[in-house]
Amino acid sequence: MTDATLAPANQVVKPQVQKRAAPIVPERSVAGRTLVLLIAIMTFLSGVTLGGVVLVQKSAVAWSADVGREVTIQLRPVEGEVMDSNIRTAIALAEATPGVARAYALTIEDSQKLLEPWLGAGLDLSALDIPRLVVVELSDTRDVDLSLLARDIATIKGATLDTHAAWRQQLNTMAGTIVFSGLMVLALIVLATVLAVVFATRGTMASNREIVDVLHFIGASNSFIAGEFQGRFLSLGLRGGMIGGLGAVLFFFAVAGAAGSIVPGEASSQLGFFFGRFSLGIDGILGIAAVVPVIAAMTAITSRLTVRRFLSQTS
Amino acid sequence: MIEFTNVGLRYGHGPEILRDMSFRIEPGSFHFLTGPSGSGKTSLLRLLLLSLKPSRGNVTMFGRDVGVLDQDALLEMRRHIGIVFQEFRLLDHLTTFENVALPLRVLGQPESQYRDNVTELLEWVGLGERMEAHPPLLSGGEKQRAAIARAVIGRPDILLADEPTGNVDPDLSHKLVRLFVELNRMGTTIILATHELPLLDAFHFPRMQLDDGRVVIND
Repeated sequence: MTDATLAPANQVVKPQVQKRAAPIVPERSVAGRTLVLLIAIMTFLSGVTLGGVVLVQKSAVAWSADVGREVTIQLRPVEGEVMDSNIRTAIALAEATPGVARAYALTIEDSQKLLEPWLGAGLDLSALDIPRLVVVELSDTRDVDLSLLARDIATIKGATLDTHAAWRQQLNTMAGTIVFSGLMVLALIVLATVLAVVFATRGTMASNREIVDVLHFIGASNSFIAGEFQGRFLSLGLRGGMIGGLGAVLFFFAVAGAAGSIVPGEASSQLGFFFGRFSLGIDGILGIAAVVPVIAAMTAITSRLTVRRFLSQTS
Repeated sequence: MIEFTNVGLRYGHGPEILRDMSFRIEPGSFHFLTGPSGSGKTSLLRLLLLSLKPSRGNVTMFGRDVGVLDQDALLEMRRHIGIVFQEFRLLDHLTTFENVALPLRVLGQPESQYRDNVTELLEWVGLGERMEAHPPLLSGGEKQRAAIARAVIGRPDILLADEPTGNVDPDLSHKLVRLFVELNRMGTTIILATHELPLLDAFHFPRMQLDDGRVVIND
């Protein structure tokens, strides 16, 4: 047609309000609320799992590092040997070893404190012939010659060197198992989310078949149609992801607060020693925050691939 | 512009519903496509719209054999063809303006680029005051005019219409066909499927008569 055949532009009634064009895939045609709730739950579970993995990993690393920075010389009472003399010898031998910062003996009172959680308070250990401990703090964990120290210590009767290697290995194995299990749970949650989005997208495509047909007839490419559905699902994924992610962060704050206020101070410090603080730290929060765009992007990509597959089957 | 050579069409393993179709449509022509219900008018229009592939024979459009075109080339060719349906097929959640603008929107054009053209076209088809209305609030005639506007907003070379007057009264039918005639005068090739004899008698254009799966063109 030519412009001359059309009405003059100055007679044209233009739309009064310049508003944003309505989405081609109507919002209410997608089972939005259900999907947002489902994605929120999945993101929450992913966030809590990831946070748990981070907590365990951080505690294991911190504990392993703490344990690894010192070794212990245990001196058992041996008849005919003078314990105080052996302690001084052990300290001297330890401090002469390269990589050792300092060595000191635990007093009877220190040993008593260590045993209090198991044997109870107010016990007089002076009446018992218990082994004495010499703590050896290392300045350089990599270059210290522990085998030399072990050989030197072996010259003292009843003395043994405990490097805590078995403990550390067990701790690392346990932490690794928990981290691996957490990652497996995370993978299953992601898989479940993908399947849920596939079903939701198929349902949406079926209920919007008329729109898809019309778009095809007017010359829309499969890519354009998939993009329209992807945009809708990205928006739902972001909304659900943010709700779930925020919920997971609040969950950890609530647990940390509850652990501090419900559990008595002494028990709390014991728990903290063994399991670490229920504090995610900035890296944990960033990890959970990263789950949100990942879930949203996964939702969008899954819906796009599902739509493309649907279109290639039907066109 | 369009050439069919020994074209046949069957759905799946069923019988051929279109057979041995050989005809030629020249650019700028106007044809009525007519025949009894079930004679294959809609199937032929779908072949012309490139939404179906023939079971046999050759279809040439715009000088190219459509049988050897890939998806992208078919899509590009389809953008030169407009379609109007009997049941309008407007999207109820979009305004009349948005429905008509849809073919330009799917091409990625911003609204600022097409706003004036769409508004002018809506004025031309008499929907200037109804452009913010949604289809459920339009009358049958208004819906069909909106559907025609949507079909021609992309300035197609060929306009196909499948019983466009099927849902409107006889008076409005004549007005709608006059709209198609006007578009034809502007250079658009028109193929209008109808089985309404009064319309065929009122407008003297060549008829593509479908009968028993075969087509005969009566000038």
